[in-house]
Amino acid sequence: MAMMAPFFKYGMFGDETSLVLAFLIGIGFGFFLERAGFGSARKLVSQFYLNDLAVFKVMFTAIVTAMLGVTYLGWLGWLDLSLVYLVPTYLAPQAVGGLILGVGFVIGGYCPGTSVAATATGRVDGLIYVLGIFAGMFAFAELYPLLKGFYLSGDGVGLTIPGTFGLPYGVVVFAVVLIAVGGFYGAGLLEKKFAATGE
Amino acid sequence: MAGWFARLTLNQKLALAAVALGAVALVAVPYPGSKVTLDAKELALVVGTEADHVEAPELAAWIIQSRADYRLVDLRSAAEFAQYHIPTAVNVPMNVLTDAGLGRQEKLVLYSEGGIHSAQAWMLLKAQGYKSVYMLKGGLDEWKDQVVFPVVADNPTPGERARDERLRSISAFFGGQPRSASAVAAGSTAMPGMAAAAAPALPKVAAPPTPAGGPKPAARKKKEGC
Repeated sequence: MAMMAPFFKYGMFGDETSLVLAFLIGIGFGFFLERAGFGSARKLVSQFYLNDLAVFKVMFTAIVTAMLGVTYLGWLGWLDLSLVYLVPTYLAPQAVGGLILGVGFVIGGYCPGTSVAATATGRVDGLIYVLGIFAGMFAFAELYPLLKGFYLSGDGVGLTIPGTFGLPYGVVVFAVVLIAVGGFYGAGLLEKKFAATGE
Repeated sequence: MAGWFARLTLNQKLALAAVALGAVALVAVPYPGSKVTLDAKELALVVGTEADHVEAPELAAWIIQSRADYRLVDLRSAAEFAQYHIPTAVNVPMNVLTDAGLGRQEKLVLYSEGGIHSAQAWMLLKAQGYKSVYMLKGGLDEWKDQVVFPVVADNPTPGERARDERLRSISAFFGGQPRSASAVAAGSTAMPGMAAAAAPALPKVAAPPTPAGGPKPAARKKKEGC
């Protein structure tokens, strides 16, 4: 019989090996972030000026690639999707958290992952951003008793789009691919438009 | 025919491939076991690899982390449930199992006193098309033995000390108390699993470690999850 993933859940390796693997995957992730130019705040914020939407394209490409991979692996029976951890859904707190992250991205020019990549290449603004992340985590932890009620408000079940809207899984997959490809096309148009007018 | 394809940029080719894969995925069924018919071979495989099991320490970690992506189901009677149950569990006695409003998409972790009822309920739910049903391995007995009243070494080696500390804090989280290995060995003429039967009132809580260097809890073959 074929090997079944998730390998960790099926006990094919233990905690220690999983940490080593996480380290290697993290290095790969950081390497490709940097190679895509995402270690530079200039590159990252230019998506907000609409003259370079590389971040949008890379992220959406990653989503589509991972989604198709997971779908086909599940379909082939190589991956037990019901064992894949779903982040619990707390709709209101997560929307607020997303807004805070977005505001931080606009102000600081990085998101958490790219700030670490920037720091690794010696950028001072990246380092300051990372320090800000840790200050924020510290403040959050200290304020947690006050924030806990809101932080955990909502169902906390891992909601999925197919489950919530009663759509077949494959329809959602196809729709996301179409949205992505349409988005790439639109992004190309925007880039042309805003590059032409200059900054 | 091939001309237009050759003229596409690499990005356009990749986009086309993604659309094609997405279109084929329209008919994909990525969640195995979503057929209501039972595939005996597949079930046997699941049983054989124990992929349907959640071990007690793993469940304890989930509860401590406040994970909410699963539902813990206590299959015993309401009276037994009232006496003791694992925190966060909901009580669904066997006789109302299929009318209890458990979601077919939900991840369910079943437990009973030992393992028999949960195994039977597991099969029942699988046959009804419930997708991800798991059993607490060893049921409440192993939960008590490994999480609430874990066995710690009398004279821990440095390696064991960290593990014992962890066991102690987990046990305290669930209102229990560790047992010392020597006390367990001394009482082992009695039926081991039965000792921890009632709520947190264990017959022998270890006296200060006796320097007997009693037998180590050798049979702990488990790999701790998460």
